[in-house]
Amino acid sequence: MAVAEAAGRLAAPPPRRWWRSRTGLVLAIVVGMVIAFFGWRNQLVWPGSFTWNSLSHHLDSFQTWLSNNRNVPHPSVFFRAFNGLANFLDNLVGWLTSLFFKLTWAGTTALGVLVVLRFGGRRAALGTAAAFVSFAAMGLWESSMRTFALTLASVGFSLAIGLPLGVLAGRSNRFQRAITPVLDAMQIIPAFAYLMPIVILFSVGPGAAVVTTLIYAIPPAIRITALGIRGVPTNTVEAATALGATRMQTLLKVQLPLARRMLLLSVNQTILFALSMVVIAGLIGGQGLGDVVTSGLYSNPALAMLAGAAIVIMAIALDRSTEAMAIRTDPAHRHLTEGKQRRLRLYTLGCAVAVGLAVGLGHAFNAGSVWSRWTGQSWLLRQVQSALDFVQNPNTFIFHITNPIGNFIVRYGLEPLRSFFVEVPWPAMTFGLALIAFLLSGLRPAVVTIVMLSVIGVTNEWTSAMDTLSQVLVATVLTMIVGIPLGVWAAESARTRRVMRPILDVLQTLPQLVYIIPFIYLMPVSIVPGVIAGVLYASPVVIRLVEAGVREVSPHSVEAADAFGATRFQTLLKVKIPLAREAIMLGVNQGMIMVLAVVVIGGLVGSGALGYDVAQGLQQSLFGQGVLASLAILALGIALDRVTQGRRRRRLEDLA
Amino acid sequence: MATVAETAGSLGHEIERSGAPLIDVERIWKIFGRNADRIVGTPDAELSRSELRAKHNCVAAVRDVSFQVWPREVFVVMGLSGSGKSTLVRTLIRLIEPSAGRVDIDGRDITAASQAELRELRRHTSSMVFQHFGLLAHRRVVDNVAFGLEIQGVAKAERLSRAGEVLRLVGLEDVANSFPDQLSGGMQQRVGLARAFAVDPKVMLYDEPFSALDPLIRRDMQDEVIRLQHETGKTMVFITHDLPEALRLGDRIAIMRDGAIVQLGTPEELVGSPADDYVSNFVRDIPRSHVLTLRWIMRDPAPGEEEGPRLDVRTTVRSAVPVIVESEKPVCAVDNGRVVGVVDKEAVLTAIAGESG
Repeated sequence: MAVAEAAGRLAAPPPRRWWRSRTGLVLAIVVGMVIAFFGWRNQLVWPGSFTWNSLSHHLDSFQTWLSNNRNVPHPSVFFRAFNGLANFLDNLVGWLTSLFFKLTWAGTTALGVLVVLRFGGRRAALGTAAAFVSFAAMGLWESSMRTFALTLASVGFSLAIGLPLGVLAGRSNRFQRAITPVLDAMQIIPAFAYLMPIVILFSVGPGAAVVTTLIYAIPPAIRITALGIRGVPTNTVEAATALGATRMQTLLKVQLPLARRMLLLSVNQTILFALSMVVIAGLIGGQGLGDVVTSGLYSNPALAMLAGAAIVIMAIALDRSTEAMAIRTDPAHRHLTEGKQRRLRLYTLGCAVAVGLAVGLGHAFNAGSVWSRWTGQSWLLRQVQSALDFVQNPNTFIFHITNPIGNFIVRYGLEPLRSFFVEVPWPAMTFGLALIAFLLSGLRPAVVTIVMLSVIGVTNEWTSAMDTLSQVLVATVLTMIVGIPLGVWAAESARTRRVMRPILDVLQTLPQLVYIIPFIYLMPVSIVPGVIAGVLYASPVVIRLVEAGVREVSPHSVEAADAFGATRFQTLLKVKIPLAREAIMLGVNQGMIMVLAVVVIGGLVGSGALGYDVAQGLQQSLFGQGVLASLAILALGIALDRVTQGRRRRRLEDLA
Repeated sequence: MATVAETAGSLGHEIERSGAPLIDVERIWKIFGRNADRIVGTPDAELSRSELRAKHNCVAAVRDVSFQVWPREVFVVMGLSGSGKSTLVRTLIRLIEPSAGRVDIDGRDITAASQAELRELRRHTSSMVFQHFGLLAHRRVVDNVAFGLEIQGVAKAERLSRAGEVLRLVGLEDVANSFPDQLSGGMQQRVGLARAFAVDPKVMLYDEPFSALDPLIRRDMQDEVIRLQHETGKTMVFITHDLPEALRLGDRIAIMRDGAIVQLGTPEELVGSPADDYVSNFVRDIPRSHVLTLRWIMRDPAPGEEEGPRLDVRTTVRSAVPVIVESEKPVCAVDNGRVVGVVDKEAVLTAIAGESG
């Protein structure tokens, strides 16, 4: 009796036919949307009565009111607070810049190299020295120092806010729960979307650039710090509690020292995030390399390329040196005895003296605040220019490769998709996407999707947003085509992993804008550079997620499949990839968000759509239009995230 | 150290179980889950584990546990994983808050103590040794041992000299300046022991301290605990899932199952008269002659039987065998110089035969 009951319970439900599976249903919705497209093409565009046309005008007058009230002799408390913060940040950046200049180029180089030498070791110091030499050789010393000062100020501020909050999130579950959605939102928003509001509140200048960077760089600082605190073995914390430690003692003597490596890693990540933002900050008054890049894009492409290269060099040097410092100063693995400590103190003293000496010598020989004696700039510029001319010459073989690829993507990907999204009836689009969101992620994401798409419609950005969406979709598909096979391959082969790792590392350290620059010249087909750059930017993360997901599959399951005589391909197809599905889904989700961030930046160089509206808003002071486009980018980002987030959301950190 | 195992009560000292107990645990409950505190005292508390989980989505880790530990006693809590033993030891100093019940340590009501009072208790009265050591990887061994004193605010010179003393006690003076990851697991746990001893507590709590170690090293460490117990006379609560370890160390042993104590008694009582099938299953493979003493198998002396060779009443059957075999007359069991019973060959054979059946 009991056995029969148990058997009844265990019996599997009859398998669903494939068209009733989730994939089948999503496919059906897409087919429905296509039918709607052909049936009512161009007939149901977002109705004018549903848009708030004067919104842009209101925003413009609000901006006028803001700037009128901000710049009066005695502004109100509110404006004084914003002005004060902006001024403070401006001054901080200015002070750091002038510090580097006062040290003279010799002193600054000595300081940078010797700090890395003392804490990061010889190899990292060599890399740092090479970076300084290349800044000098490229004739970009001054811009580099300005960028570095901007980065340093931003990082300092991000850490001052991020580390304490991260510690709090690491120690309190309630705080962690409260702050996670906020951090999620901050990371979904493409940087391009908050440039406008910040310019309005802080006006153009280094201060605004720092604030922009903060929004972008604080979330990883908080996340990684919290992760580090949570990673401290519970029994170590428990041991301290059992010995009667107060919460503060536990934090200072146990949690912080043991999380030290992760804390330094969070510093490392914050620096990279900040640096990648510093370039975009060039658009809103951040001086330095970013400024050279953004202004050179139109007038002096060779110089922009050179500055882009300088940023890449700075990113790699900072990444490697901070990583080396994090690892080498970890007391848990250094086994510092008192003798060693004494020697290290002497070493530190020696380094400090050497820096002082370099500064002294610099002043004695009038070295000057920036290196300007000999640079290879003009030679380098000539080389870059001739390379650019070469790839753009219709008679060279490169042109015969890049041009067809670009045209193919436009003709068979971007154009048809664009016309589909723009011309499909808006109800089909809205409810179709919401239904997909419902199937993949659940009811709440579906509702959020509808609300976000309505926001886009009401702000009169429907056409631009659909245009952007088509670019995002093409780039995401390309990213998946590149990322999933490479991720699986990397998971399967240790050699592939070894070869790919440094490449992915470099790709992940590069600022978003830097990706776009080469493709402006390689594939001069308006929309394509943004799309290709998006693919390059998002691929490393997708590859890593897929690789981690496949590798995470339990070795027992794999062993079982092997024991049944499965071929390697069967194991992969029937065990590993299905079990890694969640990671792959997360890859799609993250990839889409990252692609969106780059594609809108493409608006600077001819991708049109939402990015172009923001760029125009920034460059021609069309504030209302810029803010609305920013809002639409934000809404699109949230909608895309919700559609693809899946039912059980897993975080990047869980897999990384 | 073989001699230690040959006397009952393992550590071979008599516990005064009169006067006030050092630890008094009264009807402790711990239920994990939402609204868990409301379940104790209602009929639902009597539900089985799976029923409780189904009805309230709660897990009862400790159910209505009471016991007393007297000064200098080694009290062992034994159970399989998931029996609630680790939770129980944590509720004693409120590393986990008990849902209900009362714990007194050294005359103070721990369950009613403020956070500051609790810290005082943890700093001066109790000390704990953990399964996975819980050492600080970024500090030298000597700094790890001095950590408890550092928490108390003891000056650096003083705490380092005290740590040095304790390290000598556990035989680690040579590695004082090493780092934990340079030591073997057994040595790391010696550091854990030293750290707990350094604050000179009245009560030592051990949470499966040797489970992560190899069997041979585990034996060494048990010997170490026995030696330290002899030298310092601490009161110990020792958690383990290893019955031989429990029998070796414990003056008294509580066997836990599903959060409740199923039997509490001396090693002899557990092996000699298990309370139920669960316990007898446990002790089935234990050689009775290694645990039972003459006290357990002796009978009252008949007149004229008090001339045989004399053995202490705490001698285990196994070590008494050679004497009994040699002797013509029954062996006399002696307690404090007075004959309290006699043991003949038949009694020994019965005791040994009981092992196979």
